Amino acid sequence: MAQPRGEVLQGTLDLIVLKTLEALGPLHGYGIAVRIQQVSADLLQLNQGTLYPALLRLEQRGWISSKWGVSANNRKAKYYSLTRSGRKQLLAETESWERMAAMMTRLLGRAEGA
Amino acid sequence: MEWIRIFAKRLLAILHRQKLESDLDAELRGHIDALTEENIRRGMNENEARHAARREFGGVEQLKECYRNQRGLPFLETLAQDLRYALRMLVKSPGFTAVTILTLALGIGANTGLFSLVNSVLLANLAVRNPQELVVIKYTDSRSEQAQEDFSYPMYRAIRDKNTVFANVLTRSGVNFNASYGGQSERAVGELVSGNYFETLGVQPFLGRLIGPEDDRTPGAHPLAVLSYGYWQRRFGSDPAVVGKDIILNDNPIRVIGITPPGFYGTEMARNPDIRVPMMMATVFRPVPANRLQSSRHRWLTVLARRKPEVSFAQAQASLDILYRQVLAAELQELGASVNAHEKERALASRIQLQQGNQGFAHLRGEMERPLLLMFSVTGIVLLVACANLANLLLARNAKRAQEVSVRLAIGAGRGRLVRQWLTESLLLAVLGGCAGILVAYWAKTALVGFLPADFSTNLRAPMDLRVLGFALLASFITGLLFGLAPALQLSRTGVSIALQNDAPAIASGERLFSLRSALIFLQLALSLPLLIGAGLFLHSLRNLRGVNTGFVKENVFLATLNPAMNGYPQGRIKSLYDDLLARVRTLPGVRAASLTTSSVISGGWDQEGVKVEGYQPGPDENMSPNAAAISPGYFATMGIPFVSGRDFTEQDSASHTKVVIINETMAHYFFGNKDPLGKKIGTDDDPKVPPDREIIGVVKDAKYVRLSEAPRRHFYAPMAQEERLSDMTLQVCTSDDPEKIGDLVRAQVHDLDANLPLYATTTLEIQIDDSLTQERLLTWLSSLFGLLATMLASLGLSGVVAFSVARRTREIGIRMALGAQPGDILRQVVSPMALLVTAGMAVGLAAAYGLSRLLGSMLYEVGSADPLAFAGACFLLGVVAALAAYLPAQRATQVDPVVALRHE
Repeated sequence: MAQPRGEVLQGTLDLIVLKTLEALGPLHGYGIAVRIQQVSADLLQLNQGTLYPALLRLEQRGWISSKWGVSANNRKAKYYSLTRSGRKQLLAETESWERMAAMMTRLLGRAEGA
Repeated sequence: MEWIRIFAKRLLAILHRQKLESDLDAELRGHIDALTEENIRRGMNENEARHAARREFGGVEQLKECYRNQRGLPFLETLAQDLRYALRMLVKSPGFTAVTILTLALGIGANTGLFSLVNSVLLANLAVRNPQELVVIKYTDSRSEQAQEDFSYPMYRAIRDKNTVFANVLTRSGVNFNASYGGQSERAVGELVSGNYFETLGVQPFLGRLIGPEDDRTPGAHPLAVLSYGYWQRRFGSDPAVVGKDIILNDNPIRVIGITPPGFYGTEMARNPDIRVPMMMATVFRPVPANRLQSSRHRWLTVLARRKPEVSFAQAQASLDILYRQVLAAELQELGASVNAHEKERALASRIQLQQGNQGFAHLRGEMERPLLLMFSVTGIVLLVACANLANLLLARNAKRAQEVSVRLAIGAGRGRLVRQWLTESLLLAVLGGCAGILVAYWAKTALVGFLPADFSTNLRAPMDLRVLGFALLASFITGLLFGLAPALQLSRTGVSIALQNDAPAIASGERLFSLRSALIFLQLALSLPLLIGAGLFLHSLRNLRGVNTGFVKENVFLATLNPAMNGYPQGRIKSLYDDLLARVRTLPGVRAASLTTSSVISGGWDQEGVKVEGYQPGPDENMSPNAAAISPGYFATMGIPFVSGRDFTEQDSASHTKVVIINETMAHYFFGNKDPLGKKIGTDDDPKVPPDREIIGVVKDAKYVRLSEAPRRHFYAPMAQEERLSDMTLQVCTSDDPEKIGDLVRAQVHDLDANLPLYATTTLEIQIDDSLTQERLLTWLSSLFGLLATMLASLGLSGVVAFSVARRTREIGIRMALGAQPGDILRQVVSPMALLVTAGMAVGLAAAYGLSRLLGSMLYEVGSADPLAFAGACFLLGVVAALAAYLPAQRATQVDPVVALRHE
């Protein structure tokens, strides 16, 4: 089965979604997509639909939960919110991401210096 | 732990699929609607806005598929989907399904049935604690290539007490009892066991207690017994009160002290003694020789030891060998001059040889190993032939399904996915066949066990345990892969375009199909021929055995054995009882002749006795032990064995008269060449100082003694009246009509003489001979059955290929006939490639059979492994069947109507 574009970004996408939910509280899929577009300033080229398998995966792992609600313009929508273990996961992932980023920076910096 | 939760969520999602599906629809629709509204706000018209939203969102169906994969368990869902599809396909062609499942059930069932026997006879361990620690102690010497396992009691005691490598060493020996309880007597199978027998094996009592070292100290002083669970159930109706009561064994009251647990059968598979008594009771139950427990010359015990856990097998062997040779040397010293130089040399060359004892004394295993493995391989080959046949059947079906495959490929099905689905179908068939096969196996196993001689079939438990079921499952899977893989791969190679061009499904794909199918036919023929040849060899061998000149008349002879010695009769009374019995039986109506003998022909055993012969100097290692039997007058008349010269024993040849013997022709030739043996003397070799003292008064024709397949043996007969000791004798009664009718009359006479005297092994000579051929008959039946089955499968496959080829070429044949070809030409054209195929398959099969038949050598009687009759017969049969199988469908080709054929399709 062909995978939709953006699947390679799985780890990153997870982190972005968790961070978005932490920052903005419960949000529906559309809201998350809009937020990602704003933040990434269109650098992250992905079909918005790709978001949904990611949301499902996070929910299966127990990091987010979902509930049907009513959106601002009176439409039925599924709201996602961060769970406690999701918060822990976000912390852990942020840390590891930062470590990785720092390491990459060091590595690339040194390579330039040499 | 986390994956379990995720797995559970996914599993739940499969169950709630419908709701989740509509939720997903709603969610995605909401998202796209929101995007659309946003676009309208930016100033697009509604149509544009919706298009843009769709673009931004990405492919909805594609996304849903990806979402579903994440949500559920795609592997299981696909499997379920494939299974549903496969079931639909199977239901749609019930004929195909039934044939396939039946074929598989027979193939897998036969294999599983045989495996259950292999499992319990060749693989099963003794039902004792840590059987892998046990070793059987044996020794080698110059007498035979095989290791011997008989030890004297002093040697056993030395090994038990002086070794440093065993935790425990037990010994045992078989013994038969006349067992009486509650006024009823019968023969029971017994065992003398050392005091540490149960301790060594690690067996706990089911009831009461078992024999311990304290029960085995003083010869003759421990009148107690342990009963087997089966005997206790059978004979005493599982009455617990029997423990603590006395039973009568050979006229001695013996206290029952306990019952062994249900699964326990002792130290040898399928030999399950009913009653065990302490070894020290040997002086009571096997009183001759009286010094049985003290003499190092009487070797009558088998020995099993438990290794200390820290001692390896090799260490145990090395250490025990040193001890054994020390003890032997000491024994020789003690015996001094009574041992001759030759015996001494042989003793000193003797070495210990241990054998793994996890299966105990594996006599049954030795006997059954080759036939069992042979039949197991035969059923394996039949299953292979069946696989080839089913693969062919599937390939034929594929030809019909090529169009379906092309359509699937054209609309985007992956080839891997198709292969998977096709394999699911064949595996489903295989598993269904395997399930039916387990039923067949159960039946086959019961039938096979029934075919075995009664003395071990009653004790042979071949349970359908987990190992057997696992085997059935594994066999099913391998079978499914074998017959499913080639067709599946083949089908997935189908081109997209071919089948869509409506009229040519068979041409491009057909050529390849055809060659693969031919290869399978070739394989089937090459496998079937050796099976048929094997069956032919066994058939020929069995026929030879049946037609063998036994040297005696086997019709109308009733047999029964009795042993008054066990009931404590003194020798004088034994002799008079036998005389009385013979006199009474001879007067019964319908009796032509009656006699007694110590050995009954073709019962599987015989006495041998060392002799010396007047005027004959034996070589150093010459076998001077002909077969021997003690008989009553009238023996030769009963058996119809003719005299060459001299006379039969009479009542005058009694203990007080000249000792006499009658010898057979082979013995006469062996010792006396062309000279007349009458009047010459032979003697037993007990005492070297006594000269031969038995006068030869007659020479009789040879007969078969132990088994039908034996070579002529030397044999001498002595009159029972001149024997020092008599114990069990077999009564032989020659009747004028059905010998079984005389049984009750004889039994009544024995009962009249002594109600406590059991009559056992009652049968007729014909049945006894038939029983001796059990194994040969089993091998013949099974190999014929499987050979014919394989041939039938191969010919069906061949028929199918020809029919397929004719159908495929209908139009071509039509054109040829329209252009003037004769039916004969058409027939030749269709059949000739088949003839080539059959010839090639049979040639390879012939070569394989020639190579393999050598392995059967020792199982055949007077049949060479390249027996022309079997080879020619099998080739002829297979050739005729194959010709018919090819001709019948080819015949259809000649009936093609050119007009119809040209309009075909």
